Amino acid sequence: MTRYLAIFLTFARACLVRDMTFRANFILECVTSLGWMSMNLAFYLLVFTYTPEIGKGTGWSKEPFFAFVATGLIINSVVQAFFMPSAEELTEMVRTGGLDAVLVQPLDAQFLLSLHRVDFSSLANGCVGLGLLAWAVARMDHTPPPVAWLVYPLVVLCGIAILYGMVIMLAAATIHMGRNQSLYDFWFYLTNFSRYPAEIYAGPWGGPLRMLCTFVIPILLVVNVPARVIAQPFTGAAWGGVVAAVIAAIASLVVSRFVFLRALARYRSASS
Amino acid sequence: MHNTDPAAEPTPDDTVIHVARLAKEYRVFDKPEGLAASIRGLFHRTSRVVEAVKGVDLDVGRGEFVALLGPNGAGKTTLLKLLSGIITPTRGTATVLGHVPWERADDFRRRFALVMGQRNQLWWDLPAAESFRLHQEIYRIEPARFEKTRDELVDMLDVRRLILQPVRELSLGERMKLELVAALLHEPEVLFLDEPTIGLDVVAQHTIHEFLRDVQRRRRMTVMLTTHYMKDVAALCERVVVITRGDVLYDGSLAEIVDRFTSHKIVTLDFDEAPDRERIERFGFPCDFRGPQVILRIDRSRIADALPVILGSEGVRDVSVEDVPLEEIVAELFRADSRQAAAGASS
Amino acid sequence: MSDAAAMPAKPFQGLRTWWTMLRICLEERLVYRGDFALGTLMRFLPIVTQVFLWTAVFAATSRSDIAGYSRNDIVAYYLLTMLTRAFSSMPGLATGIARSVRDGSVKKFLIQPVDYVGFLLAARVAHKLVYYAVAAIPFALVFFLCRGYFPPPPDAVTIAAFLLSLVLSFLLGFFMEAALGMLGFWFMEVSSIVFGYMLVQYLLSGHMFPIDLLRTVPTGVAGVSLADVVHWLPFEYTAYFSSAVWLGKVQGRDLVAALAIEAGWVVVMAVACRIAWWRGTRRYSAFGG
Repeated sequence: MTRYLAIFLTFARACLVRDMTFRANFILECVTSLGWMSMNLAFYLLVFTYTPEIGKGTGWSKEPFFAFVATGLIINSVVQAFFMPSAEELTEMVRTGGLDAVLVQPLDAQFLLSLHRVDFSSLANGCVGLGLLAWAVARMDHTPPPVAWLVYPLVVLCGIAILYGMVIMLAAATIHMGRNQSLYDFWFYLTNFSRYPAEIYAGPWGGPLRMLCTFVIPILLVVNVPARVIAQPFTGAAWGGVVAAVIAAIASLVVSRFVFLRALARYRSASS
Repeated sequence: MHNTDPAAEPTPDDTVIHVARLAKEYRVFDKPEGLAASIRGLFHRTSRVVEAVKGVDLDVGRGEFVALLGPNGAGKTTLLKLLSGIITPTRGTATVLGHVPWERADDFRRRFALVMGQRNQLWWDLPAAESFRLHQEIYRIEPARFEKTRDELVDMLDVRRLILQPVRELSLGERMKLELVAALLHEPEVLFLDEPTIGLDVVAQHTIHEFLRDVQRRRRMTVMLTTHYMKDVAALCERVVVITRGDVLYDGSLAEIVDRFTSHKIVTLDFDEAPDRERIERFGFPCDFRGPQVILRIDRSRIADALPVILGSEGVRDVSVEDVPLEEIVAELFRADSRQAAAGASS
Repeated sequence: MSDAAAMPAKPFQGLRTWWTMLRICLEERLVYRGDFALGTLMRFLPIVTQVFLWTAVFAATSRSDIAGYSRNDIVAYYLLTMLTRAFSSMPGLATGIARSVRDGSVKKFLIQPVDYVGFLLAARVAHKLVYYAVAAIPFALVFFLCRGYFPPPPDAVTIAAFLLSLVLSFLLGFFMEAALGMLGFWFMEVSSIVFGYMLVQYLLSGHMFPIDLLRTVPTGVAGVSLADVVHWLPFEYTAYFSSAVWLGKVQGRDLVAALAIEAGWVVVMAVACRIAWWRGTRRYSAFGG
């Protein structure tokens, strides 16, 4: 365990050294992601000039909604920083055969493949997310109770774990198919569903979609559960969501591990 | 790390690599042409089975330096990948250092190394020293040992000044040397080299030959090498395994391959000026005229009789008698095999 | 050079070269048609979330319309924007040009008797034609399923204006991105410029929301809203404008004026592109690649 931590820190340090070598590029990447984020925030601000709430009686008025957005920023920035770059590179590694070099090393392949690249610039969004969270929570009508503050980090971690499992499964698909240029696109389309409160998925089409994205692909639990804990009054009903998120996180980790190992066993290696 | 106790030193002939009836088949999907066919392909794909390695038997003892030769697509690299546990075989068994490679036990993976000439295993944007440190963590090399080994290897290849430079700034030859250092840091007992000298200049090739020979002898390492350069083979390997179409065609010493697969020697005659063709052709050997130089191919059994006669002819300034170059022998070997394959397929 | 000297220039020679280029690009693109169809369907997924988001917004607000758009109008707007963007978006064009300048492959076009901008245009037309051929099915499917959101089809003149605006949006998108890529002759790294462009484009093209929503955003000048400013910029003509035309948001004299502005921008960008190419290649050959 400590060895893995030491190795991870070596990876992180190496990536930091690399980022600092290409400082201009690093800053540009920070600015890029901050730019896209502010565009989205501007859009939400614009929407709230026309409506007091997202969905009638859902409680997602401006400040809670921004707490929701902030939670999403935090979770996604962690995933983007630690897991996505490695998963994306895996596509390339399968294509060029770089995966071979990983498989001969005496380390858990999943560990190596999902953590060997860290993209520190993606953490910029998370930092803004923390600031936005503080701003939004301070302006909300209600103050979150201490228990909400205790549960919040736990469910944020669950959200990260659910997404991690999905990244790994997508990566496994990459190994299986031998190519997957659209990994990133697919990821974008998938996480797109988690960007708004689950309440908006209502009606004859929205209801089933909400069920699908909660119980089959638990993408809706990722941001919604933690955001609810912090941005909505903390009632007994909130615990249901917390339990669901914990179960989904464990399931996501276990299933993805299984899928990944299976994919590795079927790896064919690129011909040289 | 290993074998420090002399009593534990294995006997010279103990088997490090044991391969029995090892086979690897690939299912290759045909990519159909046309839109309708591609849509049909979504539901039903036609495929065929390609045998990359078919039933190979091989035993390699400790301290052997073995060359795997064969034309492109013969299955050399597949065999190396099987032995390093990157891919799982379809049939057959193999053990390397007593482990089944594709079980990928950490214990096994700590004891061998794989270097691929066409692939970069060092961190591209960082100095190699950083990659070495990472290896230290991954292979759990104790610090004192790590530094000693690293310094030793770095000095042998004379690359000390390169290890603090980002890898991307290095030349191919320099990079390859550092790749080798990285691979040998954990003092592997078995080393697999996949075309380690590909694309390198003559000087770099030579340095790497010396280095590999040195390290291999010093550590009594077992090395398996695939290459297309006969210079590598001549410089390093006593044993040669020729693989074509997934099968072992020849397994034996380098000297024997020359004996067995060539019937003649190459005799080069230098004249003062271009000789009369007819006069030379009268000797009755296939010959090739290159200005004042003539190259004859003479049957080995007849060389003792033929030479005095030829040397007696007018105007000969110099003569040399050589074996057929290794490249030619191997090329002929591959060609003969593919002819045989074509004949087999048509009958 | 020697060919041109030896052969008398045939009539339509230029046209034939152009046709050959088009055909080669078509063949190249056809190889990837499978990815296209699936990719196109996936591209509609974000709209699904947008539809639900706006439904929720309309459920919570007491208004019957937002900036003149009913909920159905908004959904139709997003779908139409997808269509417009299928014409105007030029993935990889600017960065591709900049890369060819950086790695020197642009030299090819300095040596061969082929016009680079013309070649790129032919390649894009081919790319787009193949794209429409494959994407027509998913587009038709989605539009058919969502037909309830659309108002009754407009009159023939509006439809003609709509089609004209689509063609112009293709040209505008092409020349704007190409001109951007030509900056590669002067700057080693254009990715930051492309990024800035994309950001502005994303916000001001109407990709995210109808530009009419910006009518309430003041600019500081009395009586001039942000929407008025955007109206004179090229961006909204690559996404918002065509959709607004179909939905009847721009009519009569306003429509003619807007089409004129769009056409004007096409000319400006095409000329800018030409000048950038001339000056850029001159600079390139002067300083060496």
